[in-house]
Amino acid sequence: MYDLLWLVPALPALGFVLLALAGPRLPRAAAAVVGVGSVGASAAVTLGLAAIFLASPPPDHAFTQRLWTWMAAGNFQADFALRLDPLSLLMLVVITFVGFLIHLYSVEFMRDDDGFARFFAYMNLFVASMATLVLGANLLLLYLGWEGVGLCSYLLIGFWYKDPANGRAGRKAFVVTRVGDTAMAIGLLLLVRELGTLDIAELLRRAAATWEPGSTMAVAAAALLLGGALGKSAQLPLQVWLPDAMAGPTPTSALIHAATMVTAGVYLIARTHVLFELAPAVQLSVAFIGVATLLLAGCSALVQRDIKRVLAYSTISQIGYMFLALGVGAWTAAMFHFMTHAFFKALLFLAAGIVIEALHHEHDIFRMGGLRQRLPIAFWAFAAGGAALAGLPLVTSGFYSKDAIVWAAYAGPLGNGAFWALAALGVLVTSLYTFRLIFLVFFGEPRGEIGHRPGWAMSVPVIILAVLSVVAGFVSVPQTLGGFHPLDDFLAPVLPATGHHERGGFTEAASQVLTALAFGTGLVAAWMLFLRRRDVAARIAASPLGQAVGRLWREGWGFDWLYERVLVRPIVALASAGRGDLVDLPFEAAGRAAFALHVAASATQTGRLRWYAAGLAGGSLAAVAIALFL
Amino acid sequence: MNAEALRALLPLLVLAATPLAVMMGIAVRRHHGTAMALSALGQAAALAATWSGPETASGAGGALLIADAFSHYYWSLLLAASLAVTLLGYGFWRTSEERAEEFYLLVPVATLGSAVLVASTHLATLFLGLEILSVSLFGLVAYERGRAASLEAGLKYLVLSSAASAFLLFGMALVYAETGALEFRHIASAAGRPILLIAGAALMVAGLGFKLSLVPFHLWTPDVYQGAPAPASAFIATVSKGGVLGLLVRFFAQGGAGDLPGALALVSVIALASMWVGNLLALLQSNLKRLLAYSSIAHLGYMLVALVVGGPAGAEAATFYLTAYVATIVAAFAVVTLLSTAPREAEWVEDYRGLFWRRPPVGAALSAALLSLAGIPLTAGFLGKLLVIAAGVSALLWTLVLSVAVTSTIGLYYYLRVIVAIYSPASADEAPRLAAAPLAAAALAAAVAAIVWLGIYPAAVLDAIREASASLARLSS
Repeated sequence: MYDLLWLVPALPALGFVLLALAGPRLPRAAAAVVGVGSVGASAAVTLGLAAIFLASPPPDHAFTQRLWTWMAAGNFQADFALRLDPLSLLMLVVITFVGFLIHLYSVEFMRDDDGFARFFAYMNLFVASMATLVLGANLLLLYLGWEGVGLCSYLLIGFWYKDPANGRAGRKAFVVTRVGDTAMAIGLLLLVRELGTLDIAELLRRAAATWEPGSTMAVAAAALLLGGALGKSAQLPLQVWLPDAMAGPTPTSALIHAATMVTAGVYLIARTHVLFELAPAVQLSVAFIGVATLLLAGCSALVQRDIKRVLAYSTISQIGYMFLALGVGAWTAAMFHFMTHAFFKALLFLAAGIVIEALHHEHDIFRMGGLRQRLPIAFWAFAAGGAALAGLPLVTSGFYSKDAIVWAAYAGPLGNGAFWALAALGVLVTSLYTFRLIFLVFFGEPRGEIGHRPGWAMSVPVIILAVLSVVAGFVSVPQTLGGFHPLDDFLAPVLPATGHHERGGFTEAASQVLTALAFGTGLVAAWMLFLRRRDVAARIAASPLGQAVGRLWREGWGFDWLYERVLVRPIVALASAGRGDLVDLPFEAAGRAAFALHVAASATQTGRLRWYAAGLAGGSLAAVAIALFL
Repeated sequence: MNAEALRALLPLLVLAATPLAVMMGIAVRRHHGTAMALSALGQAAALAATWSGPETASGAGGALLIADAFSHYYWSLLLAASLAVTLLGYGFWRTSEERAEEFYLLVPVATLGSAVLVASTHLATLFLGLEILSVSLFGLVAYERGRAASLEAGLKYLVLSSAASAFLLFGMALVYAETGALEFRHIASAAGRPILLIAGAALMVAGLGFKLSLVPFHLWTPDVYQGAPAPASAFIATVSKGGVLGLLVRFFAQGGAGDLPGALALVSVIALASMWVGNLLALLQSNLKRLLAYSSIAHLGYMLVALVVGGPAGAEAATFYLTAYVATIVAAFAVVTLLSTAPREAEWVEDYRGLFWRRPPVGAALSAALLSLAGIPLTAGFLGKLLVIAAGVSALLWTLVLSVAVTSTIGLYYYLRVIVAIYSPASADEAPRLAAAPLAAAALAAAVAAIVWLGIYPAAVLDAIREASASLARLSS
């Protein structure tokens, strides 16, 4: 059964090829069958593999399938090899299963789109690339998948390419992530030079054996890989592309820009955690970046008007939590939050898609309202997803995964009180913006006409994800609430358990109570400001300070403004200066010289016999002279 | 003369008999098709005879001729080219008012001269072969008596060729005066660096350089290419130049010219000048026949690089390049012939505008020929250039190799200019119509097939060439 592993990326890749070649000629039903079926089959294979893996794990909890040698040069070799271990299996289950649900949802969501087959072709290619990314046994194959998902992200953000703004958003995402990718590529080259291999298991073994903790090389390698992770996962300072990426179709935002691709950076760091442990300074900076990102993005989410942009900033913020977890050494907590976040954030996006469709492509939450009775499925989905996002204590998955991170921020190997306080503050902000969204959209006065109501293809995925958003948290229940942690045990062969150190006085139970209080405060404040007394909220927003802060937050803390001035304009200026094509001048001069020489040489072709005969005689004389004297 | 020697020389004998048969045929019945068929049959038979050539036949031609593997390879190449020219001629003359029978007489005679050249081991046979070739060419170039341009070209060629022959003869005399020998191997065994020998070799190179239209003896080329009927131009470009190049390769290997530093320096300078001047002259040329003339100057320059390298590798590179060039030029002139209806020839690049959209196969064939001339991969021309450059690099001739690279880039410009015209939107008016000439079309198809085949799977031909080059070295040692 393990030998079927290659099918997981191969099936969606096949779907992509079919749709790319025959797409425009296929009827919609056939395109949908190919597009959804390939990912569904891939998900079925993955679930089968997972079942076997749980029942009887392979030796060393890892199965490697070597398909063929990809490239070999000197003593460097990269195989096309897939590696299945608990970490990649967890990622793979989420990718294919959530991916399948979102594909199914898309059949209805995209039903009237001209680019129906093209959409599914890109989405299939994305799933194939993402599976390659997580299964790649060496960093080169991982990088192939990494660039593949980047390409799909670009293609899908600009999917409605007729609007130039969408194309610009796609380009922005591509260019910004490219900054990180370049750092990552340099990191890979550094690793090859220093350690002579890119095979992940072997690489980590050699790194641990050759590098001292804190050595320059380990720091450089970890920092460069971190650069790639920051770009892909939209963390400070490369977070600016994700809000604009919402220009893509909503299922794309759900799958790529919330559930899976943007967490590739988390996966990369978890996968190479040995390197980060060898570079404590870099690991600590991961925590700093995470905590800063989660707060900055949370504040921005508070003031957005576009429903999808709220969710986008929320995604940045939640990935900030995962980075914080990685940074303090709580590896399994990061992966736990990745999983629950994939469920509830995909759910929120899909529900948002239902709302947007129902309201004739209205994105502004201030023009929505009172949808609770009119779109009950969207409301309940938002209620479940929002509660999980905000961390409703005890019953939602988000509570358990976020609580693990908040506690680790204090008690983890690199944790401290400041991290804890900021993470807890983040809980409050999250709760506030989540319920602001829910109250504005679903309560209050009904506004807007209801158009399309979701059919089964849109409803079923939403219901499944809503259930998962609630129950998925019970795979890792903290000690204080019973201590049930199969997920941590499952991941233990790959990721070391979090070594919590006790620092007397402050206990896990106290942390949980305070986090719950933060949640409650946010909920009540949202209720007060956005349901009961909207005039207060309006007055705060209208005050000079409120206006200034609101504008700063709405613009994402002015990063775009800053980059525009510090980076984009100088580069554009440089490029326009080069428009005169200084570099081309020598080549043009060569061309001109050739033409001039042509004219000169042509002058010898007079057509006159006398001249030709003279040329013959003169040439012969010259020939003798050259032969004798040269 | 025993049976083995007879078999070795059979291609020459058949080829010599062909003009006689054609002449008798004309005497009996003056008919275009019959004359062409007799000539073509004779050449085809000679070509078939090269197939079964024996390994070594050193004694066959006495001191004058040698029918070794090298001769046999060149004979088959020359005969294939002359056969193609014969077929092109049939397509070209069928619409003409002129009596064309003698054309089929002159082609085998000239080919005989060329075949004698490549097999000669003696200055007397060299001169004999060259003059058989030249005298027939005067007739071929000026064959369209009614057209002033053709006559003018013939006259120019006559005068200049005679002058070049005089230089060649004088060079031979100097060589003989110094060494007292006329046989190549005896000349080679004369030691030292006597001034007369070097001057003689230089004058011989000059005389032969005229035939190869190398700079600075190239001035006649465009006028003659343009004035001569298209099949005659094709003949000059392939059979005439191929024969002289084969001779030069043999003379450098076996006549000892390759051991003279002065001669090598001279050839290097000529090669450089030919590459540069030829490509620059072609740059803005708007007449396709003149363009091909200028490009031939450059291509012969490339082949000379291989000659400077010398040894089996050089001979191999030069021979393969020539093979590729012959196939390519036959294809190019076949297209010119197909589009020419007497008295108007399709010689201007403008005539080819939109050719692809009017006649896709013909346009594609001309594109293939031009790409091969430019040396684009998957064509014969690319592999030829690759072998020349590889040979030059292995001999560390950096100046020459760099010149090959740079001037090839210049060459790309004018080949692509024609290709652009071929694929431009068609101009409806005044476009030359395609002649219905199945035989010429067959020659075109065969040439294009050869271009692609040599570009993709040259192993078989390369083996034959390697064997031929080896036979050259065997005798000289």
